[in-house]
Amino acid sequence: MSSVWNFSITRRHLQAGCAAAALALSSIGMAMPASAQDVTTIKVLNWQPGGPDYWAALVKAFEAENPDVKVELETVPFDRYPEVQGPYIATKSGPDVMENNSGLELYDRRSAYIPLPADLVKSAGSDLITYSGGCLNFDASQACYGLPFGYQGNVMYYNKKVLKEAGLDPQNPPKTWDEMDKACKAVAAIGKTCLAHGMTGVFPAYWNFPEIARNYLSEDDMRAVLAGDMPWTDPKMKSILEAMASIGKRGWINSNSPSISMLPDGADIFSSGKAAFASTIIADAVNWQAFGAALGDENVGAMRWPVLVPDAPLANSFSGVESSVFGVTSWSTKQEAGLKFVKFIAGKKNGDLLISVGGGIPLNKNVDTTLFPKSEALAQIREIIKKPTLHVGVLLSGQEADALARGWQEVTLGRISVDDWVARMQVALEESPGKTKE
Amino acid sequence: MPNQAAGAVRVHRRRKFGLSPLAVALVLPGVVLAILFKLMPLVHALWLSLLRTRGFEDPTFAGLRNYYSAFRDPVVAQAFRNAIMVFLTLPVWIFLPLIIALLLFQRTPGWKFFRAVYFLPYMIAPVVVGIMFRQILAPEGPLNALLIAIGLSPLAIEWLNGPNSALFSLTSVALWSFFGLGVLTYLSGLATVPQDIVEAARLDGAGFFRLLVSVAMPLIRPVIGYWTVLCMSSMLIWMFPLIYALTRGGPGSATMLPEYLVFTTTFEFLNRGKGAAIGMALFVFAALVSAFVVRRMYREGTGRSS
Amino acid sequence: MSAAAIQLRRPGPSGRMLRSLARWLVTFALVVVAVGALYPLLFTIINSLKSRVAYAQSPLGLPANITFENYLETFSRIHVPRLLFNSIVTTAGGLVLSTVAALFIAYAVTKLRMPGGNLVFLFIISMLVIPSQVVIYPLYDTILSLGFGGTYQGLILAYAAFGLPMSTYLLVAYFRAIPDELIEAARLDGAGDMRILFQVLLPVSTPAIAALSILNFVWMWNDLLLPLVIMGGSGNTTLMVGVALLSGQYDVSIPLISAGLIVALLPVMIVYLVFQRQILNGAIAGAVR
Repeated sequence: MSSVWNFSITRRHLQAGCAAAALALSSIGMAMPASAQDVTTIKVLNWQPGGPDYWAALVKAFEAENPDVKVELETVPFDRYPEVQGPYIATKSGPDVMENNSGLELYDRRSAYIPLPADLVKSAGSDLITYSGGCLNFDASQACYGLPFGYQGNVMYYNKKVLKEAGLDPQNPPKTWDEMDKACKAVAAIGKTCLAHGMTGVFPAYWNFPEIARNYLSEDDMRAVLAGDMPWTDPKMKSILEAMASIGKRGWINSNSPSISMLPDGADIFSSGKAAFASTIIADAVNWQAFGAALGDENVGAMRWPVLVPDAPLANSFSGVESSVFGVTSWSTKQEAGLKFVKFIAGKKNGDLLISVGGGIPLNKNVDTTLFPKSEALAQIREIIKKPTLHVGVLLSGQEADALARGWQEVTLGRISVDDWVARMQVALEESPGKTKE
Repeated sequence: MPNQAAGAVRVHRRRKFGLSPLAVALVLPGVVLAILFKLMPLVHALWLSLLRTRGFEDPTFAGLRNYYSAFRDPVVAQAFRNAIMVFLTLPVWIFLPLIIALLLFQRTPGWKFFRAVYFLPYMIAPVVVGIMFRQILAPEGPLNALLIAIGLSPLAIEWLNGPNSALFSLTSVALWSFFGLGVLTYLSGLATVPQDIVEAARLDGAGFFRLLVSVAMPLIRPVIGYWTVLCMSSMLIWMFPLIYALTRGGPGSATMLPEYLVFTTTFEFLNRGKGAAIGMALFVFAALVSAFVVRRMYREGTGRSS
Repeated sequence: MSAAAIQLRRPGPSGRMLRSLARWLVTFALVVVAVGALYPLLFTIINSLKSRVAYAQSPLGLPANITFENYLETFSRIHVPRLLFNSIVTTAGGLVLSTVAALFIAYAVTKLRMPGGNLVFLFIISMLVIPSQVVIYPLYDTILSLGFGGTYQGLILAYAAFGLPMSTYLLVAYFRAIPDELIEAARLDGAGDMRILFQVLLPVSTPAIAALSILNFVWMWNDLLLPLVIMGGSGNTTLMVGVALLSGQYDVSIPLISAGLIVALLPVMIVYLVFQRQILNGAIAGAVR
């Protein structure tokens, strides 16, 4: 073992000059405690979006590029992340770099982060399709607390084989709600589920709400949602909820939807070939790649959600969002090194890794697009995301997302009316600490 | 310890008991643990419940505002209503394992195997239990298929979708994963029952229920008491990971319990003040519910004869 | 014991038909319960041997092709030996510490009859009903100020504190039932308090100790909240946290999680199989006395 280590050191010696070699030596880290003062070790709290292989590759690439910084990953399961991060923030201790979802989740925790230096934001941001989700009020001209790396959002996947079985044209999937309604009737006739769905947890609320909201809201309306200035009693908001409620009433979804989760249950229904459509994300998992592996790439297609209001300006846009952002903690004593990491996160190199190892779609514009796998669904997605707009899902507070998810379950089961749901959403808005004003 | 020798001399009298340094030293580790990791945090939480917390900004004093907000919140009311509903199933939690234990105690062939098997669910992590029962209890799942096959189709309901059936299902799942511990507990209690008493009852021609009610139950009353306390204190705690894995409190708030609500309010809504207020209400609720049993246990534990 | 078994099988005057019918019914009921109880483990094992696609196609069926890819993936993703070691150290530490602390209290309260002992007892057991989510912030604060963040000691102390109420409760109740004559006799033999506690009371209390050990072992082993918060993302975290890491933000593979859980469950099963006999022996020892 030690001979291997020595060998790699020798090679580094040969490759680089003496000064660089000293840094390289120290980058081996714990094995060489003597030179530890030359290396800054930063702790990065994360939930490993894109998977462990991608993160191992990311750290390796970053350390190769920044021999004076060593990264120690503190990885926490995504669904228990708040329980770990909360105490860190409350005690102002712990990691040097942290991950959060962009949007309100980040703003609610902004006291834990330093505003990123303007020049870093400018230089790194100019290469990104979007990064406003890491900035105050989705406004890149205000303080930014973190930088993103991947693009995320929802599309409707469809199973061409099932569409064919149901006598539908797989090359021409439904584009409007009326067409979708007809398609679902045809799918039901062959005994399959039309839209594979699971409503437990906030996932469906978070991801499906924007797809419908786009038909009714302008970008200014969305910013009003973020600011807490858009009441749920507004007719536009009510229309969105009505449309969501109608999905169940029209019989598009599986009957156990209110009591199962989308991940993995709902997605599994689609993967098993028992459903015609599924609405999930474009990157990371349960996406074109996973469905392609289960159903055959040739059988999977991706489309925009069917349009409700054809002339709505944003109806044919993509509700995209930075998958998550990384920022430097306010209590860190190694902010310099932390900023290097944040810069790397948004860079081209990481973008290439995200494509080739993480199965994601990077935000960096300079990535090597030849790395993308050949997949018709992915090609469709890359076309869809070219017209981005804001993602209303990440503008909801924790309370709102929760009330949205629970309300959707109950309205689908016919236990409450849309008006009840609206009233609950309004209460949730009023209870949201981040959205109420003194 | 000089008075130890004196104690030995006076052994036929009752030993005199005072606040000996030994007793204090023995009690100390446990008390320190409890104070450091339970009481102090609890007092801290009580203080937190009086603060207005907005995310992670510095909190301000809010008086009883969080409590007011919690009492007004219909979800809080429903969570406690659900908790009461769960507590109403307590007799089942107490007697079902007892009956099974008694059946095993009669040395049914293979009883060791059964005992070992019944305990398995208790050791299975709740996340698996949740995943599994989502499949089993699905409208077209195997449970309903079985019910329809044996002619009980009216019972083949949407177990996890109904407002009452969801809580019922969740409680049953919790009981399912907990009952093995009860069987084991009762079996070790029953093992202290002298066989000849059981034999005598048997020879009397006592039926199973007479054996249960008039022989076993009086003899193992402390064990029943212990198990009751264990159930009452664990039911809600035990159900938390199941709710997390199975329903997330849904559909709607049908399976919302206070413990889970504390979790969502604190960690998902970042309303730590209100979360602490609900937690305090839960503490008082649980204390009230258990007080009766604890007092009873005292009596039995210290009582000369009950 | 065998004599008792024979006696039990002696047919009553009411006829052996009825009796054997009842016996069959009982056995049938027990088998049904057993199948229900065994199912989850089988479910987990079977699913851990399926590929992800095979699971999606038939969540409840038997695997058409057995695959070990989920186990390989588990071992490549999480550092099983290290996490297993962490789990063993912290669980054993928490178990021993809470049991010893509870033994001490039970002895002081019931046998030394310390004044205010009942208050101490009440104080300890009333800590039972504190929901851990409520106290998690201040608890973490305490751990930090003790300098135990990310350390074994931190988690062991927290485990011990959370296991203490039930342990104390059980042991106090158990000790109360042990006649004082036993202690007086030992005292006459010149035994000191520690010898009485560990050589007289402890052996008699095996069933209680076994019961509370199981109770504490299972929750400590399976717990997520305390190791997550106290260990953070450090290398000292437990196996269960590692298993929880097998599911990502959006990527939830049930076969993979099943494999991870089997890996995590295996040590528990082994302990259980070993421990089970001891419970039985303890129980019989208690019965003989």
